[in-house]
Formats: sequence, C-alpha cells, structure tokens
Amino acid sequence: MDLAAQLAQNWSVGVFIVAVLALCTFMVTASALLGGRAWGHNKETPYESGIVPAGSAHQRFSVKFYMVAMLFVIFDVEALYLFGWAISIRETGWTGLIGATIFIFILLAGLIYDSRVGALDWVPKRRVQPDRVHQPAQRDQADN
Amino acid sequence: MNLTLSHLIALLPLLIVCVTVIVVMLGIAWRRHHVVTASLTTIGLNAALVSLLAVLTVTPIRVSPLLLVDNYAVLYMALILIAGLASTTLAHAYLEGFDDQKEEFYMLLGCSVLGGLTMVASDHMLSLFFGLELLSVPLYGMAAYAYRTRLSLESGIKYMVLSAAASAFLLFGMALLYAESGSLAFADLGARLTEGGGHASWLLMGIGMMVIAMAFKLSLVPFHLWTADVYEGAPAPVTAFLATVSKIAVFALLMRLFMSAPVTDIASLHTIVAIIAFLSMMVGNLMALRQDNIKRLMGYSSIGHLGYLLTVVVASDDLALLTTGIYLITYVATTLATFGVIALVSSPWQGSDVASLKFYRGLFWRRPYLAAVMTVMMLSLAGIPMTAGFIGKFYVLATGVEAQLWWLVAGVIIGSALSLYYYLRVMVMLYLHPTEEEQYDASSDWGQRAGGIMVILLALAVLVLGIYPQPMIMLVSSAILG
Repeated sequence: MDLAAQLAQNWSVGVFIVAVLALCTFMVTASALLGGRAWGHNKETPYESGIVPAGSAHQRFSVKFYMVAMLFVIFDVEALYLFGWAISIRETGWTGLIGATIFIFILLAGLIYDSRVGALDWVPKRRVQPDRVHQPAQRDQADN
Repeated sequence: MNLTLSHLIALLPLLIVCVTVIVVMLGIAWRRHHVVTASLTTIGLNAALVSLLAVLTVTPIRVSPLLLVDNYAVLYMALILIAGLASTTLAHAYLEGFDDQKEEFYMLLGCSVLGGLTMVASDHMLSLFFGLELLSVPLYGMAAYAYRTRLSLESGIKYMVLSAAASAFLLFGMALLYAESGSLAFADLGARLTEGGGHASWLLMGIGMMVIAMAFKLSLVPFHLWTADVYEGAPAPVTAFLATVSKIAVFALLMRLFMSAPVTDIASLHTIVAIIAFLSMMVGNLMALRQDNIKRLMGYSSIGHLGYLLTVVVASDDLALLTTGIYLITYVATTLATFGVIALVSSPWQGSDVASLKFYRGLFWRRPYLAAVMTVMMLSLAGIPMTAGFIGKFYVLATGVEAQLWWLVAGVIIGSALSLYYYLRVMVMLYLHPTEEEQYDASSDWGQRAGGIMVILLALAVLVLGIYPQPMIMLVSSAILG
C-alpha cells in the first residue's frame, strides 16, 4: 500500500489529533489573551471565597488501611473468578470442580499465610527490632 | 478440550514449580527457617528440571490453545530452571546476613521462574502477557528486597514504573493486532500478516508497540536507561536472576513470535530492528568503558550482548534459532558465574554489595580461585577463543555473514574490540597488588559453600563448552527441530 492510499485511509485520525491539539491551544491562549487576571492576597488560598482550610493536606494514614484495601481487592478479584466457573458448573463437570477446588485451596493457603505473618492484625505485636534504617556502609562513602 | 495424562505430563514442570511456591508459602506460615525454605525451593526446582525428561516423551504437544510444549520450550525451560537454581544457591549464601525476613525471597523467585516457564511455552498473546507479568511482578519485589537501603528501593521502584509503561505498550500493541487479525494466537497472526491487504499500517503499529515492550525487557537502546541503575541497586543474586532468566524468557518468546509471524519481512520493521541492534552494540559498549562499578559495567555490557544477539532476529533465517540457543546458553553460564563471584564477595549481606571495582583490586592474592573464575568469565564475555563466549559470538557472526548484514557484522566486531578494554581492565584489577585500604572479601569458607562450588562448575562448563562445543550444538539443533 503506497503512501497516498494510507493517507486516504487514515486522514480522519490525523485530522482528529490536529483538532485536539488546536482546540487545547486555542482554549489556553484565547483565555490568556482575552480574559482579565486579578491579583490579590486571597487569590492564592485553596478556596477563595470558602472556608479557610485548617491543618495540612498531607495527613498521614496508617499503612494498615492500605494493607486491608489491598487484601480486600486481591480476595475480591479472586472470588470474581469463581463466578465464571459458577455459570458453567454443569458444562465443566468434574474437571471444573477439581480445578476450582485447587484454586480455592490455594486462596486458603494465601489466607493462612497472611494471617500468620500478621497482615490481618490491626495492631501488630511489637517485635524486637534492631535499628534497621541502614546508613550507607563505609565502603559506599569511600566512593565519594 | 479434555485434559489427558500426556497434557498433564507436559505441564509437569509448571505444576511442580507451582506446588513448590505454595509449599514454601505454607512452610513460612508454619515456621520461619531460612535453610529449610531454601532447601525446599532447591528441591522443587530440581524436581521440575528432572521432570523435563518426562516432558520430552510427549513433545511436541499443544496444551489448550495457550501453551505449546515442544523441544524448543523444553530447552529454554531447562535454562531458566538452572538459572533459577543458581540464583537460589547464591541467595542462600547472600541472605545469611540479611537482617529482615529472608524466606519470602524464595517465594518470589519461584513465582518468577514460573512466569519464565510459561513464557517460553506460550504460543498465544494471552499466555505471553500472563507469563511476562508473572515474571516481572515478583522481580520488582526482589529488586527492592533490601528495601531499607536506598539503592535497592530505588532500583525496585524504577524497574516497576518503567516495566508498567512497557506493559502498557505491549497491551496496546496486542489490542491493535487483535482488532486487525481477530485472533490472539501467534499462528493466526502470522497467517493474517502474510495475507496482507486491508489495514496493514495498524498491524505494523501493533507489532511495533510489542517490539518496544520486548526491547524494554531486553534493555535494548533506546529503551535501556533503567538497566545500569537496576543492576547496580538490586542485590547481587537478584541481578544474576534478572540478567539471565528474564532475558532468556523474553528472547526465546521473541524468536518464537517472529518465527511464526514473519514480521521481519516487512521492510520498515526490518530496518528498525537492525538500527536498534547496531545502537545497542555501540551504546552499551561505549557506556561500559567509563564505569567504575562492576555491576553497572555488567549492565551496560549486557546491553551490548543483547545487541549482538538481535542480529539473529534481523537475519531470521535457518541458522537464527540455532544461534539464539547457543548464544543464550553461553551468555547465561557466563553471566551467572560473574554475578556469582560478585554475590560471593558480597556475602553475607552487610548493608550493601561490594560492587566498586577498586575492591576487586588484588583479589587474586586473597582468593585465587574466585579471581580465576572471574578471569575466565571476563575472557568469555569478551569472546576470546577457548571459552564458551567465543562459540556464541562465532555463531552470531556466522549468522550475520550468511544473511549479508554487513553493518551489523561490523557493529559486532567494533563492539567486541571496545569491550576488550573494560573486560581486561577488570582482569588487570584482579591481579594488581592490593593496596593498604580496607579490604572486602568473600567470607573465608566460601569454597565450602554451595555457591563457591557452583561458580567453579560454571567456569569449568564455560571452558569445556569453549573447547568442545559439539554436544551443546547437537543439543540445541535437536531442540529446534522438534
């Protein structure tokens, strides 16, 4: 296929890309040129005419929330796979049943592992830990 | 499709590794014990390796539309399992001094090996993607395993972000190919490509995006920027694993894809792959010249080596598959032993790896055997005759000459000449008289450790394969015929 034929086939995609870029450029430049710009002390606050925010936006959440969220998503998605098996349970027969059983037991093994390593404990038992934030070893410093 | 006994036999290595991972996981849940966990992993991987003999009785066999277990797959499965075993051995010595949970490492390693095994047997886009992710995702965790050291964490995050970008390219490429060909199987895709017509430009774009993703995994220029940092930051056994297993799996798959879907017949793609190969040879070797860190040096040298190997893809003739097999075997043996020495010198873990070149100064006067192994490996990487590296490079040159790819042949020769400088520099360092500075050594009983025996065996294998390569050539040629 030569270039002219390819152009004829795909010109609409090219026009679309150019149009998107042109629209974005137009909106930014036109509003910058035509619109006014007000300056003021309160312009810099997050909610200009709203409630004055209190505290910092950089709040620290316990890592436990993320852990629970991740475990939930993992097991939720894995449970979804079982729906695929459930609607074809008659067609897949014994092979499907054995497969699904193995799958569920692997999940169970995962759950046992999670609970044993303490991923499910909201308040982990305090372990005796050495000061494990490693300073660069001496040999690294020697490099500099 | 009915699962018969021969299907199950064909899947045996995958099943064994799967069971190993679960057993290791339950073992950790029951009681943490480093030696037991490492032994379980070793037993599992060895069992999978032995089971390949049983698989050979049923090959070639198609298991579901996704997997094609033939002799080609079995050869690369064996390579992946051996590399996995070597990394386990190195990790055991290395993690002894690690002051955090050591056992999960083996679980991640097992998962990653499983991904590699899936990839080399895959004949379908779905199993390709599945295998690639199963190979890569545990590798993020392994690269960042010593996550309390800045470099290791950095390498893990870097690898994860860039890998995710590459996966996005791969998926989009697959989607375009599916939209055009209506099938995800490699064979149908090949048929659609040779048929041509219609929207060939979309097919080309899809293949191009897949090539980008593969080039990223193989760290080919211009997708190589992560290589040096990840190699440097990841713990040495992980670097050994990353430099071997992930490269074998991706390259074996790339060859299978390109053999069943002859895309390199398309002129533009042919040119692009040739340019990537030439640039990788040049940039990899030139960047390696100025490195003072042996892991970074190996990272850049791996870019160059994969560039040499990419000549094979450009040629895509009868010799190509044979060359791929021989080159990958020699490269894997050499790389494993090199990183083995680095890992042994850095073992047990004490906060970071001993990677700066100056710590290898005078290694010969302290650890003669270790220095001897390193010397053989540097010679093999440089492609000096009497070592396995020479045989690999010879086949690459033969493929290039036969396909009349003069530019790439010139690239291989210039790259080899450049690489001699930095490989010999490392060798010279080993034999210089040690300075008065503080020395870092392998712990003195390294020879008794399994890791020490392993690197010596690998060094012997490299020498034997270099002097008497006939068995290896027979093995590879029988694998690609079946």
